[in-house]
Amino acid sequence: MSNKPHVIVIGGGSTGCGIARDLAMRGLEVTLVEQGNLTHGTTGRMHGLLHSGGRYAVADQVSAEECIIENRVLRDIASHCVEMTGGLFVQRPEDSDEYFQKKLEGCWECDIPAEELTAEEAREMEPYLAKDIKRAIKVPDGAVDPFRLCVANAASAEEHGARIETHAPVVDVLKEGDEVVGVEVEHESGPGKRVHREPGTREKIHADYVVNATGAWAGQIGEMAGLEQPIEVRPGKGVMTVMNTRQVDTAINRCRPKGDADIIVPHETAAILGTTDVEVEDPEDYPENQWEVDMMIDTLSELVPILKEARSVRSFWGVRPLYEPPGTGTSDSTDITRDYFLLDHEDRDNVKNFTSIVGGKFTTYRMMGEEISDYVCEKFDIDEECRTADVPLPGSEDFSVLRDYMEQYGIRSPIGRRSAQRLGSRTDEVLDFDGPNPVVCECEAVTRAEVKDGIKGSGSDLNATRLRTRASMGNCQGAFCCHRMSAELYDEYDAETAYDAWDELYQERWKGERHALWGTQLSQAALKYSLHSTTMNRDKDAATTDSVVDFSAFDSGAGTGAGSSAAGTAATDGGRKGDD
Amino acid sequence: MAIREDVIVIGGGLAGSIAAIEAAETGASVRLVTYKKSTLRHASGLIDVLGYNGSDDPIADPYAALDELPDDHPYSVAGEAAIRDGLERFDEVVGDQYQGGHTDTNALLPTFGGAVKPTARYPTSTAAGITSDTRSMLVVGFREMTEYNGQMLADHLEAAGVPFEVKGVECNFPGTYANDSRVTRFTKRLDNDEDVDYEGTTMGAREALAKEIEPHLGDAERVGLPALLGDEHADEVHNDLERHLGADVFEIPMGPPSYPGMRLADTLKDAVDEAGVRISAGNPVVGFEAEDGELTSVIVDSKGREVPYHADEFVLATGGLVGKGIDSDREEGVTEPIFDCYIPHPEDRYDWFDKQAFGDQPFAHFGVRVDETMRPLSADEAPEFDNLRAAGAVIGGADTVAEKSQSGVSLATAVVAGEHAGERAATHEVHQ
Amino acid sequence: MSDAEQASDFDPTTQVDEFEPVDVFPSSEDMDLRPGADNCYKCTSCDTSCPVAEVDEDFPGPKFQGPEQWRLKRGEDVDIDDSILSCSNCMRCDDACPSSVPLSQMHNTARGEYVEEHMDHNSIEYLRNRMLSNYRSLASIGSKIPRISNFFLGLGITSTLGEKLMGITSEREMPEFAHETFRQWWKKRGGAQVSNPDKRVAYFHGCYSNFNTPEVGKAMVRVFESFGYEVMVPKQQCSGTPMFANGMLKDARREAEVNVRELGKAIENGADVIASCTSCSMALRQEYPELFDIEGIEDLSEHTYEAMEFLRIHEDLHSAIRESEVDPQSFAYHAPCHARNQGLDRQAVELFRELDGAQIEDVGESCSGISGTYGWKSEKYETSMKIGAEMFDHMEHAEGEVGMTECPTCAMQMNHGTGYEIRHPLELLEKAVAN
Repeated sequence: MSNKPHVIVIGGGSTGCGIARDLAMRGLEVTLVEQGNLTHGTTGRMHGLLHSGGRYAVADQVSAEECIIENRVLRDIASHCVEMTGGLFVQRPEDSDEYFQKKLEGCWECDIPAEELTAEEAREMEPYLAKDIKRAIKVPDGAVDPFRLCVANAASAEEHGARIETHAPVVDVLKEGDEVVGVEVEHESGPGKRVHREPGTREKIHADYVVNATGAWAGQIGEMAGLEQPIEVRPGKGVMTVMNTRQVDTAINRCRPKGDADIIVPHETAAILGTTDVEVEDPEDYPENQWEVDMMIDTLSELVPILKEARSVRSFWGVRPLYEPPGTGTSDSTDITRDYFLLDHEDRDNVKNFTSIVGGKFTTYRMMGEEISDYVCEKFDIDEECRTADVPLPGSEDFSVLRDYMEQYGIRSPIGRRSAQRLGSRTDEVLDFDGPNPVVCECEAVTRAEVKDGIKGSGSDLNATRLRTRASMGNCQGAFCCHRMSAELYDEYDAETAYDAWDELYQERWKGERHALWGTQLSQAALKYSLHSTTMNRDKDAATTDSVVDFSAFDSGAGTGAGSSAAGTAATDGGRKGDD
Repeated sequence: MAIREDVIVIGGGLAGSIAAIEAAETGASVRLVTYKKSTLRHASGLIDVLGYNGSDDPIADPYAALDELPDDHPYSVAGEAAIRDGLERFDEVVGDQYQGGHTDTNALLPTFGGAVKPTARYPTSTAAGITSDTRSMLVVGFREMTEYNGQMLADHLEAAGVPFEVKGVECNFPGTYANDSRVTRFTKRLDNDEDVDYEGTTMGAREALAKEIEPHLGDAERVGLPALLGDEHADEVHNDLERHLGADVFEIPMGPPSYPGMRLADTLKDAVDEAGVRISAGNPVVGFEAEDGELTSVIVDSKGREVPYHADEFVLATGGLVGKGIDSDREEGVTEPIFDCYIPHPEDRYDWFDKQAFGDQPFAHFGVRVDETMRPLSADEAPEFDNLRAAGAVIGGADTVAEKSQSGVSLATAVVAGEHAGERAATHEVHQ
Repeated sequence: MSDAEQASDFDPTTQVDEFEPVDVFPSSEDMDLRPGADNCYKCTSCDTSCPVAEVDEDFPGPKFQGPEQWRLKRGEDVDIDDSILSCSNCMRCDDACPSSVPLSQMHNTARGEYVEEHMDHNSIEYLRNRMLSNYRSLASIGSKIPRISNFFLGLGITSTLGEKLMGITSEREMPEFAHETFRQWWKKRGGAQVSNPDKRVAYFHGCYSNFNTPEVGKAMVRVFESFGYEVMVPKQQCSGTPMFANGMLKDARREAEVNVRELGKAIENGADVIASCTSCSMALRQEYPELFDIEGIEDLSEHTYEAMEFLRIHEDLHSAIRESEVDPQSFAYHAPCHARNQGLDRQAVELFRELDGAQIEDVGESCSGISGTYGWKSEKYETSMKIGAEMFDHMEHAEGEVGMTECPTCAMQMNHGTGYEIRHPLELLEKAVAN
């Protein structure tokens, strides 16, 4: 039995994974439990912007300063999750000069390197910007893949002995008197990686400390812990509309006071338009409205006109876990700070060994993780330094991108390059594959080797593999690769598991795609429907519906018996080659 | 001189080709104007008449089920006789290339998705795979391809309760390939029976393929392979494989690229040519001219220049959302781009779909509505033009995708439209 | 389930309401064609139409080369796979795509970028490709001393050296220079013999009809004059077709500037532009406006016709043919890929079927395989012959022992594979209506 204190971290978003890594690196025993896949919550549903802080430089300078510091750190430690695209705050003629000036100065005040550009200079950087823009401010925004980042944090935590459990929602917070002693989780399957059809178990996990890093669900966990004073998180939903291609290679922000539809972020092969801000009751169940999608396209095409005609592949919604200390009383949820708060429930609620960390934003996850890890370590008199800013995450260690992918792995260089960008320093390990290595997802350039690697880390959950590899996230939204991905499951899992996983992925893709059904995407969806329903008949698949088919009632062929099948009896020059 | 015909058919897919042939049979001069390649190339090559109507149970006799269809279903409008005529015409055109015409009953074929599906006509090259046949089966997949895993497919067929022993295997396709060689390369190798090195010996690709499969044959009497068994010489490839293996061979219907679909498209093209139909391929129809409710010409965009093609009768067979005969837009809604025919659809875009991926999808019903001679109707149910008819997937009113009825609808509506167009054009001539 | 469709809306060179990409993309090398990937719905119709992918397992096909490769691009992150050089620019993929993805535009642009940025400009491969692309310049020198040039080009040692030093296949015979170029003939005869300001055509003869097969040019002139047209032969340079295919977009632009200017003058004088080579007409109609933003280029594109296409539309060609006859002769006709893309693949067959004495058979839909300079490269020779095998087979089974086609390099390939003599449709037309 070790002397290390055991800490449970509830929540597998950026905050939770960051804390798990930090504590594990400092030598504590860590268990992270997450109800879905990593980034199930807000982290997986954001626009992928690695803030320079510019967006907060006028109204929320504390957040802004934190952002620029962490922006630099993440560039270093998470290089394979980050693309330094740069950012622009673009002013249109109808936007106020005063605000432009405030923005510029605000950036300087927060130590954010900001440079004013003329309209020509901005359009040289981004040719698709509207021709009548006035001018712009250049800032060091970046694009980040939140899932890849969390997976890397979790992998690092595991390397240091942590246990990571996904698909394991917390059903109870265990208490003895006024002390929290652990949590009870309901494993969907396992414990361990999720496998369809494998029944799950309930498990009570005991620990010395519990950290609640569940974002928008913080209040629910608080209730389970019997807190008298509820944690009042005010969930604010926002839409993200995903375009099929990158209309811009720089993060484009509208230079005017915070409002809806003011950002376009390039993300991998696509561009993400965001966002709205509407307070909702339930972070799991809220309306997904057409006006939000239309607004993204209509308003942002004021900055980038080609968006009006461009193809959207899907839209999704995320919920911000907004929190403000009781008594602040902000009425408009859009004005709530993005700063984070550490709530020690011993002080606040007389419940020991339990702390929540609420509010915050993705870009500052590591800093949040550091603060709470410092806090927890102090409780146990552990004097270990935080090293999460110094040690690169797995995958981001030094690796050379210059290589001949064709010669080394037999794959085309654009495909090799994209794979390497996702796999980082693990590229060699993964792409050195035995046997034919065809591309499984052609839209996103994901080879069989990479899909199989994703499966190794994800169990039979193809959505988790999707998040790792980007397979099924391109033009066709899985039309041509859902079945191919499931075929790759077959080595490890049986056919029925593979088909269940396929169905789940297919439905998940539809959930977002149905918000983009016009123009080319509707045509794509119709082709997908024809392929999976008419050609494959998956919708009436007798192996999965209740239908019992009476095969004898159907045509059993023109002839009878072997050899008389009509196949091959059509008139031919048959056997020419056979006359050798 | 201006291009002038009795009948112009727009769109060279299944419906357009059959309509053109039907019109030519009446003695009319016909021109088929087609832009790109047919969507048949994506389709499995199976000809579905009616597989399902609401429930999950496959229909054995589609004709018996016609009564249950709603009145505005294209089958109800065209009538049973049109369906039978359409299939008869189809059978004539394809001859030995297809099976299934010996009975009204549907056949249940396995497809590459692993499920079994009901269909009315199936390529001869797929016939030995029929699942009501009780002979034991081996399903072969190839490691070089990603479309399906042979063992997974076999397991799934078993789970569906097929009445025969089935096992699957994954093999290597003979010859050397890059990781991203196209399917056409595999097919060509078989077509030309190119020499390959198989375990140290040089031999034709067909023989090598048989040798690769043989050790896994066991007591299987029939072997299923991906649908890539040849193009120009498909029959030879098939015969050779059966000869070398000593078992029946069948192609498993697949999605794109689909050789059975491509072969069907080629057969239709030859039939259209033989019927004396003139073909203008490669340029789109972008507009029309009309007078007094009758079309006088359609406008073809010849690389930037607009050329009118005149005719007495017109058939619109441009396809649906997939074939690009129907467009949609956030602002304009759902439209038919050439003649602006009325396409009934909900105004709210969020009413175009069901939340479940395989729910009842309103968008699958998008298309023009027609009268009994196939003329598209306006919102007040009058023909858009006296001499415009429609055929195929551009016609809406049913979810032919879920029903597995699209090919039957294309055939039935094509023969009605083609025949009426041809006959009416003849009356024009008499009056002139 | 079929095909009629509107012309693509996507065109980075036209002006759109709120922005002018023209300003921002001064040359084709700078164009961003990622929006073209929006149309693609992954149906693989392009891949199944690609004659190269069918015979070369190392070629990933048009879908990858075009919409997929472009969509994977990130701004300055240039990463074009070198397989782009294996694309022959036959453009059959364009013809197949139901969604109007600008495939060949994407391929041409990527190829230009690749050659510009990634190819060693001192390599033999680059120099050879440059030489083959600039055929016109070389021919204009060689044709001045035709007999001597033909003599040297015909020597075995020349082709051996050509292969060893430059990578030009020795399997093919170099085309011979005519003893008198078309332009020399035109000048000698005193130019146009018919004057009619209301019926004018400007002849774009192309390199080959000028230097090698002037009989095609002469046929064009005689046929058009017999229909009462005043023929102009403006100053002109190469249409650029071999340059697009080799990624030499700067060279192509240089030639295009001259062509647009000189042909533009003719257009202002009421002429339409007529080309007898279907690759030339293809270049002027499609590749020009897609790749270059020269002023007047759209106009040129709209006024360009293929020779017989023009007569079909503006004259009663069918009647003229029906009323004529020729000595009995049989032809095996091959529709060039570039003719197919202009919707002209059935033209010759449907017209000449009505010509008394002529028997004409279409030898099928396959690509001839040579694709201009492609089949002349020693590393591509075998591929070009594999692609053409089907056509050779059909030609040998056809009744005619004379081939017919509009494209000069297809003609070379047809002759190379079967030994048949090859005629241009204009030559038969001349016999029919202009005698």
